[in-house]
Amino acid sequence: MIRFASFGKAFGTHVAVTGLDLTIEGGETVALLGPNGSGKTTCLKAAAGLILPSSGQVLVDGIPASRPKARQSLSFLPQKVAFPEALTGLEVVEFYRKLRGAPAGRDREVLRFASLNGASERFVGTYSGGMVQRLGLAVAALPDSPVLLLDEPTAALDPEGLCAFYALVEKRKKQGKTVLFTSHHLGDVERLADRFAVLVGGRLAAVLSSTELASRLAERGVLRLRLDRRPENLLEALRPLSPAATWSGDELILPGPASGRPALIDAVRAAGAGILSLTADEGRLDALYSELVGGKE
Amino acid sequence: MTQSPFLLCARQELLLAVRSRWTQVFAAVFAGLSLAVAVSGYTLSGGRGVQDFSRTTASIVQLVLLLVPLSALLIGVLSLSPERGAAELLFSQPVSRRSVFLGQAAGLWAALTAAQAIGFGAAGAVIFSHSGSEGIGGFALLFAGASVLTASFLGIAAILSAGVVGRRRAKALALALVIWFVATVLFDILALGLASLLRSGTASRVLIVSVVLNPIGALRTGALLALQGTTAFGSASLAFLRFTKGPGGAAMLLSGSLLLWTAVPFVFAVRRLEKADI
Ligand SMILES: Nc1ncnc2c1ncn2[C@@H]1O[C@H](COP(=O)(O)OP(=O)(O)O)[C@@H](O)[C@H]1O
Ligand SMILES: [Mg+2]
Repeated sequence: MIRFASFGKAFGTHVAVTGLDLTIEGGETVALLGPNGSGKTTCLKAAAGLILPSSGQVLVDGIPASRPKARQSLSFLPQKVAFPEALTGLEVVEFYRKLRGAPAGRDREVLRFASLNGASERFVGTYSGGMVQRLGLAVAALPDSPVLLLDEPTAALDPEGLCAFYALVEKRKKQGKTVLFTSHHLGDVERLADRFAVLVGGRLAAVLSSTELASRLAERGVLRLRLDRRPENLLEALRPLSPAATWSGDELILPGPASGRPALIDAVRAAGAGILSLTADEGRLDALYSELVGGKE
Repeated sequence: MTQSPFLLCARQELLLAVRSRWTQVFAAVFAGLSLAVAVSGYTLSGGRGVQDFSRTTASIVQLVLLLVPLSALLIGVLSLSPERGAAELLFSQPVSRRSVFLGQAAGLWAALTAAQAIGFGAAGAVIFSHSGSEGIGGFALLFAGASVLTASFLGIAAILSAGVVGRRRAKALALALVIWFVATVLFDILALGLASLLRSGTASRVLIVSVVLNPIGALRTGALLALQGTTAFGSASLAFLRFTKGPGGAAMLLSGSLLLWTAVPFVFAVRRLEKADI
């Protein structure tokens, strides 16, 4: 559905993306991950026909993305969308609805979907940042397009917008549509995507399935425990299971994969300590990025 | 039924221009000054009207030549170079960049022409209620010329704004002011200065070229010709008229210059836009 074929983009002498080969099949939901400045927005904008490739090409349904016809099958939500301040929310939606040739009833539908029906007669200039981004989401939801492109949807949307975003992606997934979105940190987006493409420094560092990503991150996870007492030699007893085990204040820090945690808990109990509280952090993405670039594993 | 993207964008831009503080200020200033010129022309003539028709209309021509390019350049750049997020959403729609951009320019042109119509209407009402309908044809022609001049400076604004988003707008706006200053003030000074340094044959050729090279000069010559015959002519216009061997040829050459100055900038602007990364 979307194909990056040796796609590269340079702004002047600055190379933003280079040699990207990636195919997103119809019906797939793919997350483009990567640190800030890694080229995620550049890729998404190239797919939306806004940026012309310096090398290679980007095809939507086999058509170069720069042609208007290719854009017929997609909806794009920019990272930080904007509208003329002197238009009302409804006027904005009407304009885009007519531009897309969507039926008239869609206006009210998408405004309600983005929780803006109360503010639809107000000028966009009076909207909060979150409301403006929700209006963008409403516009992106106007046409029933086969492809949805969203740039950092979880960063710019407010809680109401996030709800709408999840609902929209899940609906499109159920309809067998294609979704490509970017994110620089994981949150709830993990469960939305079927595959994760990781960009680092403008290059594709890895493509992982959601289970692969989860296990990679879990390996870099940390278990934190608060205990009712500190048995002697506890650290020594835990070191075979978690070599980096240490105390941080009154918290016991146990780095290691998720699969090793039941054994760690058993060992703590065996040492005679009661567990007051327990938190488990998954591995941080930035650790995974540097690992992928370093070529380790 | 799907509507043409050109018309949709034109209508949207017209609506925005009508709501814009800038357009409103321009309409008010232009109307106020035109009216002031018309009324003072009438008063200076001692209430007998016709006598100062020539000086009054010459002042209105000056007003048009200063304000019309300025407003088209400033309002053009401000409206045609949107915020980044707005441009990204708009140009990701399945319509050509050209039809969106030309539609917006057409909407702006309609708005600015309507704003000028208020000023022309007010001044015309004062002038012709006292002097009768003599010269009304030339006055109407001046209005038409102003609207063509609007289009041609919108075209220049379009070149400056094509593909320009976000922070780069400030640079485009500064450049617009420089262009306005060069076209309205510096150009004539340079042409006359150059001509004064040359032998008379070459000098008049320089002046003739200067008239068609600058759309402002073209409209000035055309408007004065239409309104007053050759009585109020400067040296450049006189040389030009001698060259064209009469008003008919002059009118054709001047119209040609103005129309080219409208079409060519838009061709370049669209080319620039189609190659731009938004
Ligand atoms: N229009 C532009 N002009 C110059 N450099 C740009 C432009 N857009 C992006 N870049 C640069 O390209 C790189 C990738 O940017 P981007 O795709 O926005 O990254 P991301 O979305 O992953 O944060 C960055 O170094 C950024 O500074
Ligand atoms: Mg980005």
